[in-house]
Amino acid sequence: MTSPIVLPLHEIHQEMGGHLTDFHGFLLPLRFSTITAESRAVRTRAGLFDISHMGRLIIRGANSVEAVNGLITSNLGGVPSGKALYGILTNENGGAIDDIMAYWFSPERVDLVVNAGNRDQDRKWISDHLPPGVTIEDPSPSHVGFALQGPESGRILREVEPGAAALPRRGALLMGSSPGEILVSRTGYTGEDGWEFFGPSETVIRFYRKILAVGLPLGLVPCGLGARDLLRLEMGYPLYGQELTAETTPYDAGLGFAVSARKKDFIGRPGILDASGKPLHHEDHRLLVGFALTGRGIPRTGCDILSGFSGKGVGTVTSGGYSPEAGGGFGLAYVDRPFAQDFSTGTAAVVRIHQQDLPIVFRTRPFVPGGLR
Amino acid sequence: MEKRYTPTHEWVELNQERSEGTVGITDFAQQEVTDVVFVELPKVGKSVPRGGEAAIIESVKAAFSIYAPMGGVIISVNQALDGNPGLLNQDPTGQGWIFRLKVTHPEEFSDLMDEKAYQSYLSEGGGQPAHG
Repeated sequence: MTSPIVLPLHEIHQEMGGHLTDFHGFLLPLRFSTITAESRAVRTRAGLFDISHMGRLIIRGANSVEAVNGLITSNLGGVPSGKALYGILTNENGGAIDDIMAYWFSPERVDLVVNAGNRDQDRKWISDHLPPGVTIEDPSPSHVGFALQGPESGRILREVEPGAAALPRRGALLMGSSPGEILVSRTGYTGEDGWEFFGPSETVIRFYRKILAVGLPLGLVPCGLGARDLLRLEMGYPLYGQELTAETTPYDAGLGFAVSARKKDFIGRPGILDASGKPLHHEDHRLLVGFALTGRGIPRTGCDILSGFSGKGVGTVTSGGYSPEAGGGFGLAYVDRPFAQDFSTGTAAVVRIHQQDLPIVFRTRPFVPGGLR
Repeated sequence: MEKRYTPTHEWVELNQERSEGTVGITDFAQQEVTDVVFVELPKVGKSVPRGGEAAIIESVKAAFSIYAPMGGVIISVNQALDGNPGLLNQDPTGQGWIFRLKVTHPEEFSDLMDEKAYQSYLSEGGGQPAHG
């Protein structure tokens, strides 16, 4: 194993007592206090996350918007400039290469935020499929990213950067100019109101420190990846590598909202939509479902789901966790398509945890009330 | 009574007769585990070999196996953990004990690390989470 990459906010995390972990080759805080306390803080006040491991790719050149639109499932042409769009980068079969956020600021420029572990692969895939004259840049190695999340985020940000605080939900802007330019968007991965920032280390670190200074007295807490994962799971958001893989289509993962049938063509369309634009049903693909335990127990990635009647294996947990707000142990699982239908209408099932079969029930996502989608 | 420690961060304390041992996890382990949600306690009467899995701690972060520092038969479990698993975080070396066992070979105790050895084990990087 090579040592993980130490990111620019590392020193600040150490000052604040972060417990660190290796995530996709990056050394990042798993938690500062406890996962539960940090998650609570984000739902009720505000939390600050280091997301420097996320990749940022910038596409430039005439018709950049069109070029990117040909690679993702959602319709970048259908959103105004300065608005964040969630989409899935798909292979020829409609399987997910990554799930991304896309922003366009002019027809000649599209910014993408991609998953840490997929950055190299995404860059290569995109670069191989760009038309001549359109280029891709990867400022990620020298950038810092952070997310300010929670209902009090706006109040904190207003005191530091009123312009960014005034963004509408999903709005985005480029603050400052190159080389100090920062991409700001009112987005996040927690289900709460919040903002995300990406830009060159020095500029963003200064900004991060200001937000800490203003926010700490208002109840802002530094948060780690543990809380980030729990918060996204409470919302039922997918994590690439768990709910999304090269073998899953957006519909398998319940992400049909991110597929634009109106868009005539994008790579992977034939594996996702039929000729008339209706979702294709792959009978052999499993479907992602939400579930919760009726008693105690915490499901984890890889646990088997079995039919309560036949005792046969019908699926596998992709993410699991525990949250008092979600009612205890809960998670996401891929289950056989016919079973998914039965399960959602009340058919009994169990999850096998430490050789014990524990009853589960179907749950709709998000698992916790409220939150923004 | 003196506590002895395992490389997997359990502690065991023997009674005066050296016939019964109380087992728990160390403060280091508690910090690593964080936010204990519940503890899967062993059944009384179950016999566990030295190093065998005896209990499971479920935290928000992950599940962690608790291994018996010495072989024996479970004679009691800490029922308080059922209602208040947070005891494991608050007082891991006291009220947060996990189970008691009748030890088969009391001499196994001397194979374990004493406080000083355990502390130097931690400072030498034995502190990498061994659980889970």
